[in-house]
Amino acid sequence: MNKMMSKGIGAPLPRESARRLVEGRGSYIDDIVLPSMLHVAFLRAPFAHGRILEIDTAEARELPGVVAVIDGKDLAKVCAPFDTNPPGVPHHSSPPQPALVIEESCFQGEAVIAVVAQSRAIAEDAVELVFVDWEELPASCSIKEAQSDDAAPVHGGFETNLALRHRLGVEDVSNAFESAAHVVEASFEFGRQTGVTLEPRGIIAHWDPRTEALEVWQSHQVPWQMREVYAKQLGLPQQSIRVTTPDVGGAFGLKLHAYADELAAVAVSKLLGRPVKYIVDRLEAFTSDAHAREANATCRMAIDLEGHILGIDAVVDSGFGAYSIHPRGSFGEAMQAAQLIGAPYNVGAFRAVVQGWRQNKAPSGAYRGVGQPIACAITEDMIDLAARAAGIDPAEMRRINYRSTLDAGARATQSGLVIEELSLDACLEKLLEAMDYKELRVEQAGLRKQGIHRGIGLASFVEITGVGAGLYGPLGLPLAANEACRLTLQPDGSLTCATSVTDQGQGTLSALGQLIAGEFDVAPGMVRMIAGDTGRTPYGGGAWASRGMALGGEAARRACVRLRNGLFDVAAEILQCEPSALSFENGEVVGPKGPSGVTLADLGALCHYRPYDIPTGQVPPMTVEESFLPANLPYITSNGVHAVHLEVDVDLGTVELLDYWVVDDCGTVVNPLLVDEQLRGGIVQGIGAALYEECVYSEGGQFTNGTLADYVVPMAGEMPDIHVGHITTPTRASGLGAKGVGEAGTVGAPAALRAAISDALSPLATRVVKQPFTTRRILEAIMAAENARQQ
Amino acid sequence: MEMQDRQIIAAPREAVFEAILTPEMLKACIPGAEEVTGSPAEGFEAVVVQKVGPVKARFKGTVTIEDVVAGTSLRLIGEGKGGAAGFAKGNATIRLTDHPEGCELAYVVEAKIGGKIAQLGSRIIDGFARKMADQFFARFKGEMEGVEPG
Repeated sequence: MNKMMSKGIGAPLPRESARRLVEGRGSYIDDIVLPSMLHVAFLRAPFAHGRILEIDTAEARELPGVVAVIDGKDLAKVCAPFDTNPPGVPHHSSPPQPALVIEESCFQGEAVIAVVAQSRAIAEDAVELVFVDWEELPASCSIKEAQSDDAAPVHGGFETNLALRHRLGVEDVSNAFESAAHVVEASFEFGRQTGVTLEPRGIIAHWDPRTEALEVWQSHQVPWQMREVYAKQLGLPQQSIRVTTPDVGGAFGLKLHAYADELAAVAVSKLLGRPVKYIVDRLEAFTSDAHAREANATCRMAIDLEGHILGIDAVVDSGFGAYSIHPRGSFGEAMQAAQLIGAPYNVGAFRAVVQGWRQNKAPSGAYRGVGQPIACAITEDMIDLAARAAGIDPAEMRRINYRSTLDAGARATQSGLVIEELSLDACLEKLLEAMDYKELRVEQAGLRKQGIHRGIGLASFVEITGVGAGLYGPLGLPLAANEACRLTLQPDGSLTCATSVTDQGQGTLSALGQLIAGEFDVAPGMVRMIAGDTGRTPYGGGAWASRGMALGGEAARRACVRLRNGLFDVAAEILQCEPSALSFENGEVVGPKGPSGVTLADLGALCHYRPYDIPTGQVPPMTVEESFLPANLPYITSNGVHAVHLEVDVDLGTVELLDYWVVDDCGTVVNPLLVDEQLRGGIVQGIGAALYEECVYSEGGQFTNGTLADYVVPMAGEMPDIHVGHITTPTRASGLGAKGVGEAGTVGAPAALRAAISDALSPLATRVVKQPFTTRRILEAIMAAENARQQ
Repeated sequence: MEMQDRQIIAAPREAVFEAILTPEMLKACIPGAEEVTGSPAEGFEAVVVQKVGPVKARFKGTVTIEDVVAGTSLRLIGEGKGGAAGFAKGNATIRLTDHPEGCELAYVVEAKIGGKIAQLGSRIIDGFARKMADQFFARFKGEMEGVEPG
């Protein structure tokens, strides 16, 4: 039985849906066309901060094909502004964010006027005819500007720009620092990034006045959340709304949020009673998609003579943008950036103060890893600085400080982190062996004598995955946190799985199908997956916080067990044996006497068409539904270690990536191909963060590099080989044992590169501070150290 | 962004100075100008159509004149609102000196842009702004010398 139950799990099956998507047979938002559908284009605010003096839409309205020109006041009649002030988050505030600017605009790119026309081209032409007279207002754009004493208020409703203040850990860590053998201190800066999905955001909304029902198709991760958001903003019953997320071409967290422009499109449909489509173009995406990562931090770490950490004291300042993003807020990144500092280690005394700052920039939100890449980068850099101070090898420094579980009796770490069980020691050992660490260090020392600056960077991480209700529930955020599976046996013996999990290109649905097929030992093609549709799937979260397999997989496994047990009851009556003696092989029931000749198709036909032939007359349910969230844990922690080997050209400031290794523990691996590609894809995004990607704003708050020519994303040709290894520690929170893996690559890669570049530069007595580590910043670090030496 | 350059104009200094203050001359010189009305004392209003990379914009703006030292120097301050495309602001400090061939016009132009056109990145915008400034003064030279600009 055990052998059979695990069949399918662990098989490197190719991804079922990949062929359809690669052949261009996907159906994305822009592929959907509804009868009498209209198109929306927006006029967006040109200033970082401005006030509307006058709007003149007369010329735009006269353009043939224009149906309506709608401003913020018009939309406010049918649609409330986002209120992102969850009651359970203390010392947090956000101004109301209307669907369209009503009077005061707070970031460049905020949607101001919606033009609705017969085609997108006409709508865009008409947008150019709309005239808005603006008064430019003083703006606060960088974190430093926003927090200065004489900072201009980002929003007229608030005198200061402080949007969040929170302390994690103890009030006083001075004892740890007074008794330390070494104290190291460093500052950090992280540039703003954005997700750059291949398919931009997009939405079709159709309010049908005849049925008083709203249908929404949206390129999004969480259809159930959006149903509830639209119900609240438009004052509609939840059940009158259906949200469908068809094929989605990448999301990375940025499609987790509710956007003002998308809400505006829905409200326009409500106002006009017509279907409307709005597709975000690439220029709009850069200025209006959720941004992430912008943060400044300082950290102190105290260690004893042997290198054991005695205490951590950190301050993290996070850039929120103009509004805390709806509905989850912008505090998640700030909080996780602080809470995960030191997470892989026994850190002694811990204190982290976290502050969030409003800025006249696009709102910041979730992006693959949410704060954890920042925490990991701070932690690993501090570990390297401490190792250098104590004269201990960086790998050894990590090994002697790793934590494996919480201290006996503790519910959480000092920062409030709940950890089940870690395998960092085993991950590090496997990693060092895979990369031949000792040999690399010898080679590095030899090359340094020749003036070649190679760096080796290590990054250990502990990651929050499969987040359940324990995170948002207490904050007062009404968000589905379970994942569910509704499994049906069809009369022909095939299976239908309707899941609350959504797939934006990860292949999660293929892996769920593989898991289900394995439980009945049928070909994966016998399982049809339905997802991303509140009209057809069970209630649940969707895709966020690496949950597809960790939570959705367990729900599917439980549904399989229940459906199968019902079928075994029927088969046991036919075969005159105990149900527990039965199993499936190749879709056929196998009993005590071997193959029975009774197939899944036979059972399907029997139960659906001839239930009177079942000896007991008891028809088991042909559709079962199971829902899962971890019962005693707020989330499931995974862990791993990254390493990168690179070379810095100290004359040019360029970085060449030579090799990359990661050993990850995501518990049970259902499909190793998909898991490894999740790690690789995440690492590539992390490399982009470390070397290339930054939203560059001018002093006045203008986004100056918002095109794919200027905002540089990683390209395949620049990427090193990425060697993936696994340690498997199944979580005890579920029968499946899978933990999340979708973000693990992005969490560790920026830290590994930061560590490796600073390692390469260590003979020059300098380190890199601000991410991304562009050639200019690397050269500036080298030159600053040279200047310091000459003085 | 700051640009500077100079032009030698085969015309007397005073005549050059007077000419630059007329709406007709501004309309003839500002690339893409559709309309220029007003006077030096009250300022000018201008409508200018330009294409910046993929963005076509119709700027409605004002041009005011400051720091006038008759016959010698002045500052043109322009502000244009381009609706969906964003905005452009700039000023040009113009200094005239006598020259054997007529007069030398030296200019320093500062330009600031915002909105969608700023987003297109400085690589397009710098070149665009330089072209605008160069064209303006080349046309002005042409108008003053009575020849069509090349």
